[in-house]
Amino acid sequence: MSWKQTKDAPFFVGYLNAVPKPLAVFALVFSLCFVGGMGLAALALSSTQNDPGNGGFQWGNRFEQAGMLELRPYPVFRVPGDEESGPRTYMLSGQGKRGVFGQAEANAGTPVTLRGVPVNRGDLTMIQVGNVEATEDGAGNFTPSDAVPLGRWKLAGEICDGKCYAGAMRPGQGLAHKACADLCITGGIPPVFVSTGPVEGRSFFLMADKDGNLLGDEIQGLLALYIEVEGDVERLDDLLVFKADLSTARILK
Amino acid sequence: MSVQYTPVLWNRNKLVYDAVLLIAVALYLYVFIRYAPAFEDVTKPIDGATLRMRAFGSCAFLMLTVILCIGPLARLDRRFLPLLYNRRHFGVLTAGIAAVHANYVLGWYYNFSPTDKYVALLSSNTSYGQILGFPFEALGIGALLILFVLAATSHDFWLSFLGAPLWKALHMSIYIAYAFVVLHVALGALQGPGDPILTSLVTASVVLVCGLHFATGRMEAARERGEATAKASLQNAGWVVAGEVDEIDEDCAKVVTLDDDERVAIFKYDGKLSAITNACAHQNGPLGEGKVLWGCITCPWHGYQYNLADGRAPEPFTEKISTYRLKLIGSTVLLDPKALPPGTHVEPVRLGEGA
Repeated sequence: MSWKQTKDAPFFVGYLNAVPKPLAVFALVFSLCFVGGMGLAALALSSTQNDPGNGGFQWGNRFEQAGMLELRPYPVFRVPGDEESGPRTYMLSGQGKRGVFGQAEANAGTPVTLRGVPVNRGDLTMIQVGNVEATEDGAGNFTPSDAVPLGRWKLAGEICDGKCYAGAMRPGQGLAHKACADLCITGGIPPVFVSTGPVEGRSFFLMADKDGNLLGDEIQGLLALYIEVEGDVERLDDLLVFKADLSTARILK
Repeated sequence: MSVQYTPVLWNRNKLVYDAVLLIAVALYLYVFIRYAPAFEDVTKPIDGATLRMRAFGSCAFLMLTVILCIGPLARLDRRFLPLLYNRRHFGVLTAGIAAVHANYVLGWYYNFSPTDKYVALLSSNTSYGQILGFPFEALGIGALLILFVLAATSHDFWLSFLGAPLWKALHMSIYIAYAFVVLHVALGALQGPGDPILTSLVTASVVLVCGLHFATGRMEAARERGEATAKASLQNAGWVVAGEVDEIDEDCAKVVTLDDDERVAIFKYDGKLSAITNACAHQNGPLGEGKVLWGCITCPWHGYQYNLADGRAPEPFTEKISTYRLKLIGSTVLLDPKALPPGTHVEPVRLGEGA
């Protein structure tokens, strides 16, 4: 078998406008298939994307309350209860991928009014802090309750950055989001543990290390992976804090 | 390079080629970003930035797949040969689409941070030691850089400046870019929640690209096996039997593979035979699969032309290819396997003289 061009076969030369008719018909059919195929591929890929959840900024429900700022070990805002609900503890973040350690340290222990925008997904709420002012409002002058230990737990799930997962950048989870989550946490956004099994009905936990201190680079290798880890859980009002003992962490998949 | 001295500017063929390309890309992006989201089954619409980066990223991936299929398709069926013309337009547009994808990713996932977004891109995930959680962004950056280099050097100026062997070797790195892109998708987007459509498309792309190259490789190997007559046939003082005159169509060639895998194209025209190397000086196109037009060998890839007797492009062009000596015994064509220096004149064998 040797390669032979034949005398009768149509031959295309690109710098001439005359395209042999059989090749023109073939090219037209190919073009239609190419254009149609691209359109169908776009339709198939775009219309079947996974649901990133309903989290997001609550721009129409701006937050303004008086309360106390604490470091647990990430900044949280604690407000007293009212007739409708008990006291609440909110996780906090700054603008973009920034934390609010500076404001929390400067105002720790004094009553403040905090304004911001909630980022909410289910029972996970993080406040993007806009403004913190000392307040004379009596509502902010209260003594927050101590943390309530809930014992040692082994939880399976994923370490996410709390702001993206809450809806700032949906879906905000999974390996495709790993670098962003790392950047957020490095910038001071509190990490949260998203558990597949609830503790006291809650699946989101503000994370700390096993001694209740800030987490450092040791979580980088575990971030955004499906892991199993043991640690103590404690309750701050309606927020659960997971003091994860990362030496027990095991990657499940 | 063409005896017609036709300026290779924006002729109708190029305009049609580019128009089809732009329509396909515009349709893809429009459907992905504007039309299909209405059919999504999600609790809240997907963010515009996320939608756009997915649209441009997947578009670049599919375009790269089609680009890599054109080569083997044109080897398997010569009706695909016209798609080889202007393929560099396809490549340049793909690099552009990939760059837009990268720009959206940078402006979304790596923005709004105290860390510079370019620094963040390289420093925020450095888990190179693990498969799960591997910084797949680095693979995308690698692919994008290769696509940029190939797009920037795609013009014939660079082919001439770098020389065909170096240019060709450089542009073979498109396969490295494709491997990087496949790994970029496999370690990134495919690691999210199960997405059967994306998984199927990526798998089909890999199977198609690999399958077509494998099939072409088999076909080429079969051709070379078929040339056993040229390799091991009766030797006549160093000449090899190239076949019978009747096997060659008028104005066409028969390609013979020599022992050292060098291929020679033997053309029949105007009652004469001439032999030249099968590799075009432009991009190593298979000259033997071309034809004789206006008295010149015409490459099927980009229409480069050469005189039959000396392998020189018609003046004022300067490309030259190797020629070979032929002789005829009866109706059997004998070929001297020693290539002559490019541009060497060889008197054509006149048919009927050896009978």
